[in-house]
Amino acid sequence: MLKELCLLNGGSGDEKAVREFIINEIKDYCDYRVDNLGNLICEKKGKETPKSKIMIAAHMDEVALIITSVKSDGSLVFSAVGGIEPATIMGKRVTVNGMPGVIGSPAVHNLSASEKDENPKMSSLYIDIGAENKEEAEKYVSLGDMAYFDSEFIEFGDGKIRCKAIDDRAGCGMMIDMIKGEIPFDTTFVFTVQEEIGTRGAKTSTFSVNPDIAIVLETTTAADIPLSEGDKKVCIQKKGAVVSFMDRGTIYDRELYKLAFSVANEKGIPVQTKSVVAGGNDSGAIHITGDGVRTMAISIPCRYLHSPSCVADKSDIKACYDLCLAVLSEVGKL
Amino acid sequence: MDITEILEKLCKSGGVSGDETETSEIALSYLKEYDKNAFIKNGSVFGKIGNGGKKILLDAHIDRIGFIVTSITDDGFIKVANCGGIDKRLLPALPVKIYGNKTIDGVFVSVPPHLASEEKPLAVNEMYIDTGYSKEELEKILSLGDTISFDTTFKKLLGNRVSGSALDDRSGVAAILYALELLKNENLNCELQILFSTEEEVGERGATTGAFYLNPDIAIAVDVSFAYASGEKEDKCGKMGKGVMIGISPSLDRELSHTLISIAKEKNIPYQTEVMSGRTGTNADRFSVNREGACASTLSIPLKYMHTPTEIIDTDDIVSVSKLIAEYVKGVK
Repeated sequence: MLKELCLLNGGSGDEKAVREFIINEIKDYCDYRVDNLGNLICEKKGKETPKSKIMIAAHMDEVALIITSVKSDGSLVFSAVGGIEPATIMGKRVTVNGMPGVIGSPAVHNLSASEKDENPKMSSLYIDIGAENKEEAEKYVSLGDMAYFDSEFIEFGDGKIRCKAIDDRAGCGMMIDMIKGEIPFDTTFVFTVQEEIGTRGAKTSTFSVNPDIAIVLETTTAADIPLSEGDKKVCIQKKGAVVSFMDRGTIYDRELYKLAFSVANEKGIPVQTKSVVAGGNDSGAIHITGDGVRTMAISIPCRYLHSPSCVADKSDIKACYDLCLAVLSEVGKL
Repeated sequence: MDITEILEKLCKSGGVSGDETETSEIALSYLKEYDKNAFIKNGSVFGKIGNGGKKILLDAHIDRIGFIVTSITDDGFIKVANCGGIDKRLLPALPVKIYGNKTIDGVFVSVPPHLASEEKPLAVNEMYIDTGYSKEELEKILSLGDTISFDTTFKKLLGNRVSGSALDDRSGVAAILYALELLKNENLNCELQILFSTEEEVGERGATTGAFYLNPDIAIAVDVSFAYASGEKEDKCGKMGKGVMIGISPSLDRELSHTLISIAKEKNIPYQTEVMSGRTGTNADRFSVNREGACASTLSIPLKYMHTPTEIIDTDDIVSVSKLIAEYVKGVK
């Protein structure tokens, strides 16, 4: 199912395909509603009613490109929707309205020595769908259409997966599995929109759910590559679920943070934290909604986030799933 | 004959410079339709059609740019050197195929923005490839000196345009094969020599030895050249879909260039001229100075985004190359 989820196209504000897939998966297992912004809010019954209201959230949107104009030669000018490094998309494939295209830029042979040694700028890149000119391109593309990374879902190495949009379809996938299964306490599962452009869906959905406790299921940057050393690796693949104490949007609830580690240790679930205060996720919006929400984030360590080739380790996804359920069993008593 | 299907087969194979055999075998199987005695020697594919008269060589290079494994780190990442001209700026998060004792997937690492201290792209030999394996597991599959290519995905775009890696110069191979298809019922007045040569991308080496072996009188290098794309200089590029680019250059045979142009005009084959001021950067540079020399020419297919994983060509341009070759060869007395 994760493969299907990752290959769906759903940029911020254009999450419909993802939402419809998820509704089709969960409709027989919970009550659900879609709010005005497009968040999918699912009320799932557990074995018991918790003392506090619990919400679990993951975002449906992925980083993408939006077409802003068409040049006379038929090439498409775009802006990034969400944080994308130009080098990670240069020379790669995209789809626009289901049609294949490529991210073009002048050939290396025709650059000056100094240009060859500069990182590409987003403004120098464009999309080529093979159109001969503007007229032909406009038959297939309208301004405001989104372009998506054209990735395959690849299993490789020792238990690794590679695809676009693992951020955060992996979180969506875990929530779908929980909704379809048995959970210890009644929980509101929220599939949010527009995380990548500023955690916007989390604002409205948390207001409407009004939880006491929230668990965010996410992906987070693993820089466990030879180009970074020691604490700069942030977190390490195959070392389990990542529970953060702080990122750029949130200082996480200290008691929940400690609870995650004690529960993980008790159950033998691999768990780690982030060694760099960086990044952010829906927690940033959730924890300051209303009169405040006690929030924790459980994240999959993911390499090359926001690129067409995110890499995750299946063992870490399992650890996140196991830890989320184990934590849920405890927070229902708080 | 389906040119796109041939291209797709060729482009989906490895065949990085110095390791061309996989691709040469595919090209050989197609070439055997026209010369059952065609063979592979030192990685290059050789064929011969017709006997007597002038020896005319049709060449396209079979290799593609890529990488060669130089070391494996303790945590299972690969360090590489480049085989041919790589644009280092596009390496981050780039999917690759790794040709060990089996073909495995990998991806170039990308440094997250909050850790990227330098504005400049890292050199090829400073980058790492993520295989997802431990060093121990990886060493069961991979040896130093194994090759790595860009991802080999092949896509059809609008019209007759296709995108993939290694269209440089598998398009040239396809053009020669289609020319042979057009010539298959003709009685030739020449010895037509076919060469799909190795190691063009590292210095036209297969062409050097291949031409020595064949000793042609006339040699046509079929390669790709720059098609105009956004950001390029319009006056320095050909136009995609506007036909074969016929080379004119001090290093090429002027009379041969003019013959090719007049045939294109006469037979209504779409063409454009590509004027160069010295060497051509193609195998023709080797052919003209082979042994006692040969009359050389270039016929090029306009291509966008050269040396990226997403090169684009228009198969109509391949057809115009093939037609021009066929008409030229038919006219040789």
